[in-house]
Amino acid sequence: MSKSRYGINVARWGVCLGFSVLLGFLGLPLSSMAQEDLPEGFKQQGLPSPPPAEQIEAGKRVYFTKCVWCHGVEGAGDGPGAVRLWPRPRNFNAGTFKIRHTASGQLPLIDLDLLQTVTHGLPGSAMPSWEGILTEQQRKDVLAFVTTQLVQDRSWQDEEFEEFFVLELEKLAPKEGTPESIKRGSELVVEKKCIECHGLEGRGDGNAFNLKDDWGFSIQPADWHKCWNFRGSRQDPYNVKNIFRTFSTGLNGTPMPSFADNTSVDERWDIANYVNSLCEREQEIKAPQGTVTDETALTFSTSQPLGIDPLTDKPKSNFVVPSKFVEGDLPTDENDERWNLIPRRWIAMGGQITHKPRNFVNRIDDMWVRALYNETHIEFMFRWDDRTKSIQEDEVDWDPTEVNLEDYGVEEQAPQGTTFEEDPFHQESIAAKQKDGYAVYNDGVAFQFPIKWQELPAPRKPRYFWGDERFAADITKWTADGTLGVYEGTGWDQDFTEVDFQEEVEVVKAEWANGQWTVIVKRPLKGDYDEVAYLEQGKYIPMVFFAWDGHNGDVGRKMAVSAFYYLVMEPPIPMSTYIYPGLITVGIVIIEGWVLGRRANRRKDKGQA
Amino acid sequence: MTWLKLVEGYMPMQMISELAGSILVFALVNWALNRAGMGIPKFWAGIGVWIYIQLYLKYRIYPPIPFSVRAIYGTVSGCGIFMWVSGSEGEWQEFKRPILNVMDGISGFHKGVRTAALIVIPLALGGFAYNSFLPSFEEPIELRTVHPAPPATTKVHGKTFVLQVVENPYRVNDDGKYDQAFTDARIVEQAMGRLMKDVNDPNYNPWDPNAEGYIKYVREGGEIFFQNCHFCHGDNLNGRGLWAYAFNPIPANFTDAGTIAQLQETFVFWRVSKGGIGLPGEGFPWASVMPPWEQHLTVDEIWKVVMFEYWHTGYYPRTWD
Repeated sequence: MSKSRYGINVARWGVCLGFSVLLGFLGLPLSSMAQEDLPEGFKQQGLPSPPPAEQIEAGKRVYFTKCVWCHGVEGAGDGPGAVRLWPRPRNFNAGTFKIRHTASGQLPLIDLDLLQTVTHGLPGSAMPSWEGILTEQQRKDVLAFVTTQLVQDRSWQDEEFEEFFVLELEKLAPKEGTPESIKRGSELVVEKKCIECHGLEGRGDGNAFNLKDDWGFSIQPADWHKCWNFRGSRQDPYNVKNIFRTFSTGLNGTPMPSFADNTSVDERWDIANYVNSLCEREQEIKAPQGTVTDETALTFSTSQPLGIDPLTDKPKSNFVVPSKFVEGDLPTDENDERWNLIPRRWIAMGGQITHKPRNFVNRIDDMWVRALYNETHIEFMFRWDDRTKSIQEDEVDWDPTEVNLEDYGVEEQAPQGTTFEEDPFHQESIAAKQKDGYAVYNDGVAFQFPIKWQELPAPRKPRYFWGDERFAADITKWTADGTLGVYEGTGWDQDFTEVDFQEEVEVVKAEWANGQWTVIVKRPLKGDYDEVAYLEQGKYIPMVFFAWDGHNGDVGRKMAVSAFYYLVMEPPIPMSTYIYPGLITVGIVIIEGWVLGRRANRRKDKGQA
Repeated sequence: MTWLKLVEGYMPMQMISELAGSILVFALVNWALNRAGMGIPKFWAGIGVWIYIQLYLKYRIYPPIPFSVRAIYGTVSGCGIFMWVSGSEGEWQEFKRPILNVMDGISGFHKGVRTAALIVIPLALGGFAYNSFLPSFEEPIELRTVHPAPPATTKVHGKTFVLQVVENPYRVNDDGKYDQAFTDARIVEQAMGRLMKDVNDPNYNPWDPNAEGYIKYVREGGEIFFQNCHFCHGDNLNGRGLWAYAFNPIPANFTDAGTIAQLQETFVFWRVSKGGIGLPGEGFPWASVMPPWEQHLTVDEIWKVVMFEYWHTGYYPRTWD
């Protein structure tokens, strides 16, 4: 082992020496040599030795059981799964890999970068974590197969063309995320032009539809507010080192460059600290237009990260949406202090794939909700990230109550076309091909309650998807063209019935800014008992959320949807909460006195006896 | 810290062995200390073990166990420890002594502890009572039947299938006859990784260009699976798909011995064809997003995808006898 490495080193030094002599003769400055050109924080490393043939054979068995379904027989990222996926599975042939410790354009380290990718998966894509499914040996075996047999255009053993400048992440101590560092980072992202793609507030809305990857597929800048979706987050999303690594080495095959050459290590830590601080936390922190004041920076540096669910590697869900009572009028905008009376809830959303047209590529994967109520009304504030503000330009042909839109040409895309050229169906491909020439629908948000939920035989609810024949749903739906309606739904394929409640509901605010929608909807607690949900204090009221992204072709049944949540309008705390514990405390003091008194008497008796 | 990770499917065994292991370590340490003449009083040892078990249950197990269940475990382990400390009259006296010493206030130190306890105990219990009286709104627990009884027949794409007698038309041997033993021999290995038996043999590798019959149908089923099902059920059929995070509870895990491994293939055919909306009431049809796949797939495609699920997880479908 050590002998062969020694051999490679000798060979490398021989080559280097030969080249330097040659270059010297040619009169070229030696500074063009790699060693001198290393960006700050990098070191040069030798080429790995090729894996043994048995390991490649073992890896082939793993590949054809687990990986081939998406990555394809030739590793071209064209397996049967590829056609409905976005981001697409990796095409291994060119040896282009995103997440690396190596400098821009170089191959990744097999036993570090690729092994971590297989071990931890790539969140935000369909690549799962294979830890606990494949043994470490099996994971290494499959990498031996992929890197030798499926990467065709390059080779880890190619001494002529390949070199490895490796980011020394383990040796570089992260800079503490102090308010000063975060503030400096927020200035640097402007200076280094990060915001041109990632947007002023880092929601990836800067250049949402013009970017393509090396294969021509549409690619969108990362949303810094959802670090759990960072491909390179390695199941450790709030770790600033992951951001530092991506920023230092870039993402090969994508428009994301490496900033190693034009930023110092210190600057890179500042940027990484700022990007990391933007990732959503328990407390909602706003830095409007990306302007970070000293106060905001302090809040960023002290707030607690969200709890991450180890089963899904996303924030932990709490399925109860609390609502608090407030005196007087309900808030008129999102800046009202009273919103902070209640925690915001993270609503996880997936694509609707139960009924046609199905949404295999959902651009909205979560939403934040808060709710407040007074004597007569309840108000919901929805906030979700959407890179594009979408309002349908032409008049909508159909009525808001219509749900079967096949006759208007809204149909499910067929699974076909594994290359960009062949793929006429994916919205994001169409978007990348012809910026303006494709259908854009309205963004929107909706929520449903059961009508007459008080009478449902527990745990029966109307079906999550717009109710069913026996139990109807009360659906409040807002679309970006300004339509707000309350409808009765009796099934996923049944047109809505308009409810005589339209004048009572109100859009308090609907604003898209820097990649985020803020929509505040107010509705009365009570209406006609038989037609709309009659909301009561202290009860669990089942609730489902829906969201549409118009630029993703979302309309009608094609949307993002949540599981069942429960709205609870928390009643004021009753007096008994204070009285009984007080009585209990007093009672225990009496019992203590009695026990100690008895003990003392017994001892006295014994002593006398 | 890979070795510390709780492995799915093995979690209960792992938990029991870890707890048993740590009790053993406690016993050994206790024994060694006693030998060395530095024995810990039983009073403190008992309390220490009990606290250790509580912390283990609270912080080690994931998904978290509800408080009520932890309270039951706490009572049971408390009883066990009580039996241990009160094994003989002498041991019981030894256990009681620190408590009685404090109650009697035999020294200045004990008097101090007694005063502190007199204040802390009522306050702690009062606080506990306040917390339990404070209205809190935890997610209600709803228990559904995971595998409700199937109907006798089901009608898919206009054709009626009698679930007791119908056979998967693609589960066939080289002669084209239904043959479960033949196909069972060709599924993946039931070892870590669940890999195909031989990648270079067209009898075992669905992707072999020469694969014919059963094993070729497996590939076709897999193609359907990876265009339709993996979004929820996951690339490894373990219920951890792309959108698992949006579910409550997360989607069915086919690699678990409690799902397709204990069901007849025709049951799975019925569940796939009719989806969540086709479930009887006890299966919570209103909450399941499982599509009625007859809306998206043909009967042949459904049979193939069901067969692929058995192939990929290495389970044999349960038979009627």
